Amino acid sequence: MVEVENLNKIYTVGSKQEKVLDGITFHIQKGELVLLRGVSGSGKTTLLSILAGMEKPSSGKVLIDSEPISKLPDIHLSHFRAKKIGMVFQHFNLIENLTLLDNVLVPLVANRVGLKEAKEMALAALKNARIEHKKDAYPNRLSGGEKQRGAIARAIVAKPSLLLCDEPTANLDSKNSQSFIEQLMQMHKEGQTIVVATHDPIFETLECEHRIIDIKNGKIV
Amino acid sequence: MNSLFLNNQVIVYIFSETVLALLTLIIFVMALKFIRYWDFNSFSNFQLKLEKEANLVMTIATFLFTLKLLLLIYFVYTIDNLSLIVPGAMCGAGVISANDYGMTLLFVKIIVIFGLLLFLVVNHYDLLGKNYPLFRFKSWVIVTAALLIFGEFYLDISYFTNIDTSVPVSCCSALFGNLEGANPLPFGLDIKMLLVLFFTLYFGAVVALYLESRLLSTLLLALFGVIAYYSVVYFFGTYVYELPTHKCPFCMLQKEYNYIGYLIWGSLFFGLYFGFIWVIMSLRSYKLERIKLASILLLTLFVAINSFYVANYYLHNGVLLENIK
Repeated sequence: MVEVENLNKIYTVGSKQEKVLDGITFHIQKGELVLLRGVSGSGKTTLLSILAGMEKPSSGKVLIDSEPISKLPDIHLSHFRAKKIGMVFQHFNLIENLTLLDNVLVPLVANRVGLKEAKEMALAALKNARIEHKKDAYPNRLSGGEKQRGAIARAIVAKPSLLLCDEPTANLDSKNSQSFIEQLMQMHKEGQTIVVATHDPIFETLECEHRIIDIKNGKIV
Repeated sequence: MNSLFLNNQVIVYIFSETVLALLTLIIFVMALKFIRYWDFNSFSNFQLKLEKEANLVMTIATFLFTLKLLLLIYFVYTIDNLSLIVPGAMCGAGVISANDYGMTLLFVKIIVIFGLLLFLVVNHYDLLGKNYPLFRFKSWVIVTAALLIFGEFYLDISYFTNIDTSVPVSCCSALFGNLEGANPLPFGLDIKMLLVLFFTLYFGAVVALYLESRLLSTLLLALFGVIAYYSVVYFFGTYVYELPTHKCPFCMLQKEYNYIGYLIWGSLFFGLYFGFIWVIMSLRSYKLERIKLASILLLTLFVAINSFYVANYYLHNGVLLENIK
């Protein structure tokens, strides 16, 4: 499902080079739930961005469903991302001037799904994320937990092969965090492959089979 | 330096060509690097860097090559306008033959445009593949086109700096009038035979393209290109001008003739280009139906426009011009 081999990422600022990821290697099987754990600045978000095809590595192999996503031409990469990757961000990243339903429709538009079918899929995703009752609300009228559920609905609506979550509970209170974890476990139970980058200790209470990858200073420890 | 070099349109043209030549130099060097080091199967830092640079280079190349297409039209427009300054010239034909560089420059430009169109098509299909299947070929097209562009730039400068505005040039009336008495057509053809060949080669080229015969298409398109040029200058053009002695490829580009020359020559060249591009791409196992269709339609448009002028003249006057003997 996911193969990462000898992945390196170096940022160059002026004459200074900073190695953010250093020889990362791991494999993730289909249906696995993986926690990328590490303190802020350890390289989790960079790794997730590379897995999502939003950033290019400096060197190393990244295969998702056997596709070398770091080497795909842009046109294919956008298509691949829209079809195969779902992403939940720390700050939710909902589009403020679209209703929740329209926000969830966005990935389907990118996948060229017909409007009628897209609406059905979006409503199903909102129902699955338990936020269907807020479908006509704008993001600024939603609480943090509601926004996060909307973001989950948007991430899973196109039925991606891989769901990536970047610090999903960082802006949630403990009740909403717990609710998010329950949802995560439900999706895992349904066979969704999930990678969560987090340093939130609440994930230590995760009551399902999962694997932890600890990252420190850009290396797996 | 002559006064013509300081003409506004020439300055704009030369400045634009200089900028594009500098951009060409950048992509030329990068394309050589790609040819030498590209290895898509590698995940090394160097290869990933090359892939990022490739994105930039292909964007620059697409921008540059699209501008070159527009600049060719501007070049034709410029030399046509210079006929007001160059003594003896009545249209671009006089200006382009003002020195030895002119016709060579025009010929090189026509070849360059073919190279650029080929790049745009190859680049499009390369990016449709997930592993850049035409990348090396595309890089070679860039290198070849760049070399031609450097040559073209040298000819541009040489041409515009060597037009002597104190010496009258020969224009279409004198240029083609000189040939009276001698047969200006190739292979000793007369006009009737030229027209038979014109229509036969047109049908042949269209059928060869339709039947997807590469060798026959190449041969017939090349022959049709040559015969079509002479047919327009020595026969069809006279119906555009409605004057049997006016045998000029340039005057039809002027306002007096509704700029029809741009459509006539444009449909011919792009029809031929697309035909050749179809042949080249089919050699690499790409069956480009749209390109083939575009070639057939453009060549048909070319033949139709030319035929229209003859038919229109005949319907209005009940006779043909005197040039069919």
